[in-house]
Amino acid sequence: MEERNHTSAPETAKKCCGWGAFLVGLVVALILGWAVLPALMQKELKQPVAFNHVLHVDEQGMDCRQCHFTGPDGRFSGVPTTASCAECHSEVIGNTPEEIRFVQDYVQTGREIRSEWLIYLKQPDNVFFSHAAHSVGRCATCHTEYEEAPGTLCAVCHMDMSKVSTPPVYSENRLSGYPKGTMLMWDCERCHANPNHLSPATNANNACFVCHK
Amino acid sequence: MNRRGFLKFAAGGTVGLVASPIIWNTLYDAVYWTQNWGWIPRIPRGDSTYIPTISKLCPSGTGIRVRLVDGQPVRALSDPGNPLSRGALTALAAVETQLMVSPARLKDPLRRTPDGALVAISWEEAETLLKEKLAEAKGSTACISGDPTSTINELLSSLVESRGSADFYFMPDDEQAALTAWDAMGGLGRLGYDVDNSDFILAIGANMLESWGTVARNRKSFSAKRPAGQDARMKFAYAGPVQNNTAAGADWWLPCRDGMEMELALGIAHLLIKTGHAVPSAGFDDFKAIVAEYTPEKVAELTGVDAARLTEVTRALAQAEKPLVLVGSSLGAGGGAGAVMAGIAVNMLLGRVGKEGGLVNLPFPSPVVAGASDYRAVRKRNLVAWSQSVASGEIKAPRVLLLYEANPLYALPFNSGMEEVFAKSGFKIAMASFLSESCAKCDLVLPAAMGLERFDDCYTPYGSGEVSWCISHPLVKPFYNSRPMGEVLIALAKELDVEVGVKDMPELLYKKAYSLGADFRKMVETGAVFQKKAGGAFSVPVYNAEAIKVALTLKKETTPLNLVPVVVLGMGTAQTGIPPFATKIIMEYQLAGHYSVAQMNAATADRLGVRKGSRVTVRRGEVKIPALVDIFEGVLPDAVALSAGLGHTAFDQFSRNKGSNIMTLTSITREPGTGLPVWSSAGVSVDKV
Repeated sequence: MEERNHTSAPETAKKCCGWGAFLVGLVVALILGWAVLPALMQKELKQPVAFNHVLHVDEQGMDCRQCHFTGPDGRFSGVPTTASCAECHSEVIGNTPEEIRFVQDYVQTGREIRSEWLIYLKQPDNVFFSHAAHSVGRCATCHTEYEEAPGTLCAVCHMDMSKVSTPPVYSENRLSGYPKGTMLMWDCERCHANPNHLSPATNANNACFVCHK
Repeated sequence: MNRRGFLKFAAGGTVGLVASPIIWNTLYDAVYWTQNWGWIPRIPRGDSTYIPTISKLCPSGTGIRVRLVDGQPVRALSDPGNPLSRGALTALAAVETQLMVSPARLKDPLRRTPDGALVAISWEEAETLLKEKLAEAKGSTACISGDPTSTINELLSSLVESRGSADFYFMPDDEQAALTAWDAMGGLGRLGYDVDNSDFILAIGANMLESWGTVARNRKSFSAKRPAGQDARMKFAYAGPVQNNTAAGADWWLPCRDGMEMELALGIAHLLIKTGHAVPSAGFDDFKAIVAEYTPEKVAELTGVDAARLTEVTRALAQAEKPLVLVGSSLGAGGGAGAVMAGIAVNMLLGRVGKEGGLVNLPFPSPVVAGASDYRAVRKRNLVAWSQSVASGEIKAPRVLLLYEANPLYALPFNSGMEEVFAKSGFKIAMASFLSESCAKCDLVLPAAMGLERFDDCYTPYGSGEVSWCISHPLVKPFYNSRPMGEVLIALAKELDVEVGVKDMPELLYKKAYSLGADFRKMVETGAVFQKKAGGAFSVPVYNAEAIKVALTLKKETTPLNLVPVVVLGMGTAQTGIPPFATKIIMEYQLAGHYSVAQMNAATADRLGVRKGSRVTVRRGEVKIPALVDIFEGVLPDAVALSAGLGHTAFDQFSRNKGSNIMTLTSITREPGTGLPVWSSAGVSVDKV
């Protein structure tokens, strides 16, 4: 009786694919993992108004702090209100379609732009980031290089918007609903767990409730 | 593709995915995603407004600015514009907004069912029951108020008086002893302390930088006169049994056994008289004869204060231009009048009575509610004397017992008779914002709107140096199903045909403003505070040597170990329990897990054979409480310090089963002469487990 070999594959199977199947799987997964799936996870949104920073800063000579400032109580006002925009744009003063739309849809109707503006670095409610505690004023006590150009320090976390004429696309994760720029704890820990990251020491406190509420 | 090929493809795919960021990024996204869960509290978004008002949780009515976001109160901030607290914030005022949503907050009226459970009922049912019980209880109604600064007390006392009863009481506090002492020494009004204008303060027993009196004002006054890096314009000495924050801030700390404040004050008087400081008044010679024996050496033996240190402080006190001596008890209640009398006598020797920066006379508030009891008369009544009489059967228990923001079952010593009062009283009603130990034993519990949800006021808290009056007004509608008790009481009075003379709380406060000469509208709109300097009629105080001599015969317990209660506002009050928001500031030397911490110095610990972390029981008579030992050299030898405010059995998970209530270790005795119930000194023993 012919003895059947159950321990080895047929000759044809041995030859099938070789390492080719592995390589195909690897390449497909790499493409999926690096390009396709990350793109599918994100949805791209536009800001409600295509605000032109270059126009306001370079051509109109506005200072960043006219719209982005720390209030007397330490709260950071990152996005101006419709009312503050209307201080200049109570009626159309230029000729761009976006300004006309803004005046018609927001200024004239009282619709609040601040509540619709998409925050690129939105943080969840379980954490509290104080711009006052991380302010130029405080850091510049030691780091005089920031004193002349306050925007430099802002740009450590935020992109330099003064060079941008169209707001960047807002990329929101479909699973979490948070934007791409939202920080995780290790971002904060780079300084908070290492108070000596700048010399002299920053006295950054790493107790839980310094950031978490 | 066969099976092997597929497995190779899958292996390649797995390696590829692991080598790509998608898995790790998805894990990060999952972290963010967890923050979308519905039960996680959300921060309200919207415009911020800041409204000045006062904290009704803080016993001294600290001024606060409440931040509202989109109309919702989110935070209590300090108010630099408030002339009383001047930008200082107490641990209790800071939790005003958080406690509005505390887990212990009473949400609905509760009624006790025949099987003993408290079940929610409607306000209509609750008000009908309240009216029925009070109508039935004519001639037999008692009321205990835990908020002596509120004009709502006038509504309560008017209702009680209308039932033919005079049993309206305040929870015991240091003002009761002060008033008794001030009366005995010939004072006419309320005893006040002009802390702001003094250049040398000696606080005996009163931890005035932590919880005693108008603590926010005390601290601001202290910091204003002692600016960092500059010369101090005020000297400060503190006499107390533990090196607390008040002691840490003082120029001199006199480590004095708890309950021995009177002996210390007499020692100071001895030294002052010896050095020729003697402003004569009636009874001086007799007083001089009493203090003659209180030499520094004897005082050192009695109090533990070093004779040389006592002499040094007395010399500095005598050299000051505007010295002030104030006396209080470490618990803020239960101190004797004798110690205050001795303190007043020291001020008299220094010529500091009725003077700027000294002891001042403050007028009693005039009632504006028809039929309300006179403030002085209420202050002269003693809750503990009454409760002990009810417990012993000397007088009958009331048919209705009404509690207003009071928690006597927790806050009074074990032999106050309050348990028996509760057991014997017919129907017990609590008006409170949080489910306290006393509420849990009542038959009807009414959820009270909190300070930011109601009209209320704060009239000249004890420890003030001038008349002050401030108003709280509703910034939001009452949370849950709570109601403002002032309005509930006015409606109840109407139902019972009791004429209180006002139709609502704004009218009541308007009448109060009118009686004081204050601008009610401006106060509500701007958070302005009414202030009036002390002054007016002033009798010449006398050295009531006889009263002091008799009070000295009080037997004090300081052995085998002197129990030292430590009071901080972060632990809340008997009415609030431990505020969840304040748990961050409760330290491991106050509470360790579920154990109270017994602090003692190394010499005491060696003698007892214990060390840091040892489990012990602190015992007084039959009562034992478990504790863990901590070594702290800031505690007197042969003394053990324990934090007050722990050991709740009610409220929420932040208060329940956290340490032990030290009031169980204290016991009431009567002060000879004045008859005041006192519990300021207790001798305990510590046994190793």
